[in-house]
Amino acid sequence: MNAFTSWLQRRGPQLSAEQRARLARLPAAAPLSEGPLAGERLVVLDLETSGLDPRRDQLLAIGAVVIRDGAIDLAQQFECTLRSERLSPGASTLIHGLAPSAIAAGAEPTEALLGFLEFLGDSPLLAFHAGFDRGVLSRALRQQLGYRLQHPCLDVAELAPLLCPQAHLREAGLDDWIGHFGLRVEQRHHASADALATAEIALILFSHARRQGLDSLAALARRLQRWRQRQLAPSL
Amino acid sequence: MSKRDALAEAGKTAVLQNIHGLMEFLRKFPPFNQMENAHLAFLVEHCQLRFYAQGESILKPDDGPVQHFYIVKQGRVVGERPHSARRGTETTFEIATGECFPLAALLGERATRTEHLAGEDTFCLLLGKDAFVRLFALSTPFRDFALRGVSSLLDQVNQQVKLNAAADLGAQYSLDTPLRELAMQQPVTCPPHTPLRAAVQRMHEAHVGSIVVVDAAQRPLGIFTLRDLRRVIGEASAGLEQPLAEVMTQRPFHLPPEASAFDAAMAMTERHIAHVCLVENERLTGVVSERDLFALQRVDLVHLARTIRHAGRIETLAALRNDILRLVDNMLAHGASSTQITRLITQLNDHTVCRTIELCLEEMGDPGIPFTWLCFGSEGRREQTLYTDQDNGILFDAASPAEAALLRGRLLPLAERINQALAQCGFALCPGQVMAGNPELCLSRDEWARRFAALVSEATPEHLLGSTIYFDLRAVWGPEDGCEQLREQILADVAGNPAFQRQMATNALRQRPPVGRFREFLVTRRNGDAAGTLDLKVQGLTPFVDGARLLALAHGVTVTGTLERLAELVRRGVIDAQDGAAYEEAYHFIQQTRLRQHQQQARRQQPYSNRLDPDDLNHLDRRILRESFRQAQRLQSSLALRYQL
Repeated sequence: MNAFTSWLQRRGPQLSAEQRARLARLPAAAPLSEGPLAGERLVVLDLETSGLDPRRDQLLAIGAVVIRDGAIDLAQQFECTLRSERLSPGASTLIHGLAPSAIAAGAEPTEALLGFLEFLGDSPLLAFHAGFDRGVLSRALRQQLGYRLQHPCLDVAELAPLLCPQAHLREAGLDDWIGHFGLRVEQRHHASADALATAEIALILFSHARRQGLDSLAALARRLQRWRQRQLAPSL
Repeated sequence: MSKRDALAEAGKTAVLQNIHGLMEFLRKFPPFNQMENAHLAFLVEHCQLRFYAQGESILKPDDGPVQHFYIVKQGRVVGERPHSARRGTETTFEIATGECFPLAALLGERATRTEHLAGEDTFCLLLGKDAFVRLFALSTPFRDFALRGVSSLLDQVNQQVKLNAAADLGAQYSLDTPLRELAMQQPVTCPPHTPLRAAVQRMHEAHVGSIVVVDAAQRPLGIFTLRDLRRVIGEASAGLEQPLAEVMTQRPFHLPPEASAFDAAMAMTERHIAHVCLVENERLTGVVSERDLFALQRVDLVHLARTIRHAGRIETLAALRNDILRLVDNMLAHGASSTQITRLITQLNDHTVCRTIELCLEEMGDPGIPFTWLCFGSEGRREQTLYTDQDNGILFDAASPAEAALLRGRLLPLAERINQALAQCGFALCPGQVMAGNPELCLSRDEWARRFAALVSEATPEHLLGSTIYFDLRAVWGPEDGCEQLREQILADVAGNPAFQRQMATNALRQRPPVGRFREFLVTRRNGDAAGTLDLKVQGLTPFVDGARLLALAHGVTVTGTLERLAELVRRGVIDAQDGAAYEEAYHFIQQTRLRQHQQQARRQQPYSNRLDPDDLNHLDRRILRESFRQAQRLQSSLALRYQL
């Protein structure tokens, strides 16, 4: 065994043949479509992590719901708590709300992530503060599965002020938007409940987008791009 | 268990978090609160959640047969259809959080007849038709609800009321119990020639307080009670060998066996009797005594009425108000209907008024002028609640205007004293001065006739308002024929004056039932803000009262009670029977809600108020109350159509 292989085995994921086969069967991510929003399948994601640093902190739980044909399909949901041995119980327990016992009893991370990728399929991702979730998820997928996440990801935290400027909410959190739209959330700070709330906000935003003539994910992404540039441009 | 199964298992319990949340949400609303867990989970798992922006169409007639069962998760859905009389559309219904639609179209496998729009930003859960059909087969509560809709809810409320009553007092009978079930199986009877001694002997042996004298065909000829025995002994003229026929009370009061315990209680109160015979096909089938009734009810109505009639001082009458309050409390707890309660309150109030008049006559001396004490408004309609003020007047006969003025001068001090005494007994003085002590309401028959004629012929706002008070008149004390003549005159005047009817109709439309208030109260509510409340009397009952009065006066109906008027209008074909039944149900429910509120306020020593915060009701009551207000709205629409307003 040469040094390179042993380095790979030390660093890389330990996958069974069956798992490698499943990984190989995953469809490639589809680019953002120009088709009408109502025709899309989107996966709305919320993660619980051990902290707020996407480069260091661990992925603890995944919650996801599906928007399909313009509605949240309650038959398609994903939620999984990931098992973790080397997690120090500390202040972060207060943030994610997952008891150490629940984490110890969670699913094996490789299986959990593979299961999530199968659930995700080729659909684009949607999340609130998507940059953070995408960062954490990408790192976990790379480390556990050697998988490179290429799915496009839209940020609801960006879409909301873009499509509802009259709300005058800037740098607002999920709670602020839940409050703004008067949504009822049964259990906040639970990955799947937050994913559902995010999806409800997304449905409202898509309704606004259609009325503003933005009836495709690609058009939304382009508008976001321009909006971001305007926000960055120094005011004259 | 393989790893994949384990994952699926873990995934399943995790997925249940959101499903569980939605189940918890649905459990706040009927019929979901009665469904089995597994069936409710099946429902939620097969739903999609969809958003509709305000004004967006959810379902419309062109969509073809309905494909989904909808539950409003949040927001409000309104039904709109083309206006029947005018251009444009009218809102026919509102569907709020936790409610479902469109059941009739879904079951009938047809398109909706009414366009459903989002009244505000709304989320609906949509259950596909296949899953709906499956659930319909699985869940009995769901099926009952789907088939019977809101009327199945009304049954629930009634069951709840009775259950609560049973829990409160352990009573097993309600006032609706047929007398057949309460009466002794074998009434104690004897033929008319039975000697007094033998009859009393039989009563003693049977431990009863009455014996019914019957002929050979079991037809009741008379009744002899312990009270009669005291009278006979007091008179000392009777011998113990005298035939019972000579000392009995002839032609005893009787009711059919299917009459209710309440009917018997009312008859006993009204007639000051303690026994009611049950007669079917002219034959005696039983006897119900006061004791039979109140052994069950612990509601001593008859005793209270008697105490009122024998009260020696105004102060005693005032003290008896508390007993009336407690009696109403008991009756409500026994599940008595609002009509029973208001009739009872009116009757006890009538007794109080009569006794007050008698006591004032004793105190001030009888002026020697025959007069009739009239009452108006809710008292005239026999719809009084505990929260009531005085609406009364005096009617007397006078040959000339000069004599009328003279007699008025002599009656007014008495009338004023009676008004004050009634105020002492808990009947608040009328802020509008509609009281007999007001010289304008202490009138001779001719003066009343002129006054009423003016109300109809000169339509000013004050006159219209006056007609809503005075035209529900009734005689409480004194001869009744003068009052009846006035009523006949009113009916003739109104029937012959379509313009006045039209104005009454306009007036009846002024108070719009606040159907729109029944939305998301949690959001709109502010502390101590009256805007979040609604007035059960003015906004809920008044539309029915005004509508029934107008139609009754226009069609020569002489009864004054709102429900009696509606029933008579149905009999005469003026109102459709189904509409009439719906109005009655709605009126009942609003009145019942109001009475319950008054009782609570009395218990908490708060001032009486008709204002209700719908948030204080449970979901079921709130929903039925909203349906009831909607019936009031329908009655108003029919008036608008009838009088082309």
